[in-house]
Amino acid sequence: MKRTVLLIGIPFIVALYFTFVISQKACDRVMANHPEKPIDFNHQSHLLTYFPDNGLSKDDCGACHDYYDNGRFKGLPTVGDCTSCHDPNGPVTGAPASTPRRKPFLSGYKDTDKPWGSHARQPDLVYFSHKVVMTATFEDGRKKQRCSNCHGDKAGSTNTAMLKGKMLMGQCEDCHTALHISNKCAVCHD
Amino acid sequence: MAIDLDLCTGCGDCALACAQENNMPVFEDDSDLPKRVQFLDLMKVSNDRDAAYPDVEVCYIPKMCQQCEGNDPKNPKPPCVSVCPVVATDVGDDGIVSQIWSRCIGCRYCQASCPYEARAFNWWKPRYEGDFKKSLNPDVSVASRGTVVKCQFCSHIWKRERDRAVAGGELDINAVTYTPACVAACPTRAMVFGDLDDPGSELSRLLSREKKRTFRLIHTIDEMKEKDEKKWKAMMQAKNYPNPKVYYLTSKAWIKEMMKFK
Repeated sequence: MKRTVLLIGIPFIVALYFTFVISQKACDRVMANHPEKPIDFNHQSHLLTYFPDNGLSKDDCGACHDYYDNGRFKGLPTVGDCTSCHDPNGPVTGAPASTPRRKPFLSGYKDTDKPWGSHARQPDLVYFSHKVVMTATFEDGRKKQRCSNCHGDKAGSTNTAMLKGKMLMGQCEDCHTALHISNKCAVCHD
Repeated sequence: MAIDLDLCTGCGDCALACAQENNMPVFEDDSDLPKRVQFLDLMKVSNDRDAAYPDVEVCYIPKMCQQCEGNDPKNPKPPCVSVCPVVATDVGDDGIVSQIWSRCIGCRYCQASCPYEARAFNWWKPRYEGDFKKSLNPDVSVASRGTVVKCQFCSHIWKRERDRAVAGGELDINAVTYTPACVAACPTRAMVFGDLDDPGSELSRLLSREKKRTFRLIHTIDEMKEKDEKKWKAMMQAKNYPNPKVYYLTSKAWIKEMMKFK
């Protein structure tokens, strides 16, 4: 009896363990969003070093992540947005530390190209409007929402790793409930 | 919404614009009913099937989801909402009955309870013929197989217009106006879309001006208001009283007669 347990039970448990590990990895690969990140972009150095030297506030996310005229969020900046500071004809080395230098990587792309993907993507059936959420204010003028509430401490990050996991519907609903905003389905879905 | 049937020529632009806007496949041969998924049905009705030439009259009735309210405006409960076991369909703050396909389990209770047959079931994954796939609307997600879909008065256009208004500095959500695809496509301006709660809107003014021609697809109950007000109130309190928000206008008596619940 003991031998049967040893011969069948232990290999079964070991096989089960590896099956779980493999399937979890596979599920993670399929479900999670793995965008292409060719540049190890350093948010912290941009915000703390270059922004104050160029007359921008250090929490001015809109300098790169802006809106279109009709209120649509542009998302990640294009190569053209990068080269507006990183002058394509400027020096690669030797300039003062506060001056953006030329990045040879960017010269291989057109101005409208966007060679990087985003971690933060909503499914097709969700209509999320950055403009509406970021414009909402309390009576005393304070903003109801800040970028970091959903995106985490992106401003302090030094690489392109994912800071927070998937944004689940419950997180949206928690804020809506706390701020007395309607939680009806059609507010976000269509 | 109000639809003037006297102006409607039955061209079918509304149905086509609706299918194009909401990513529903348009087939050359539309006779396969289960395959066809349409939010807006263009019904052809005739006064008498056997009538000969001078007496025959034909009318086209665009019929979409009537965005019912139920008998309590404060707590809207249309017939389809109260039967849904998974809260996939609900009435929004703007009074539009929403249908979220990702939540739908495909039990089709709502389809059975809808008095207007305004809901469609996706028996198959949508199959697009020709170049249709290149012109899909990125604002509307394509519903998966085995779910119920319905007209939502192009609520994605409303969200888009709301964004544009906020970007322009307009923060009052009631000031945002938009036009659904079917209304925008109508060449004779037979369809009018607007805010029923706002007495100054084009729609409210049209309805108050054309009271005699107006009817809804619950004509029997509306008619009772003049005949017997007590009975009318009792009928309105009936369970599953739909109370639709789509008004039809016609000057022909036979259409009104035909559209009664019998």
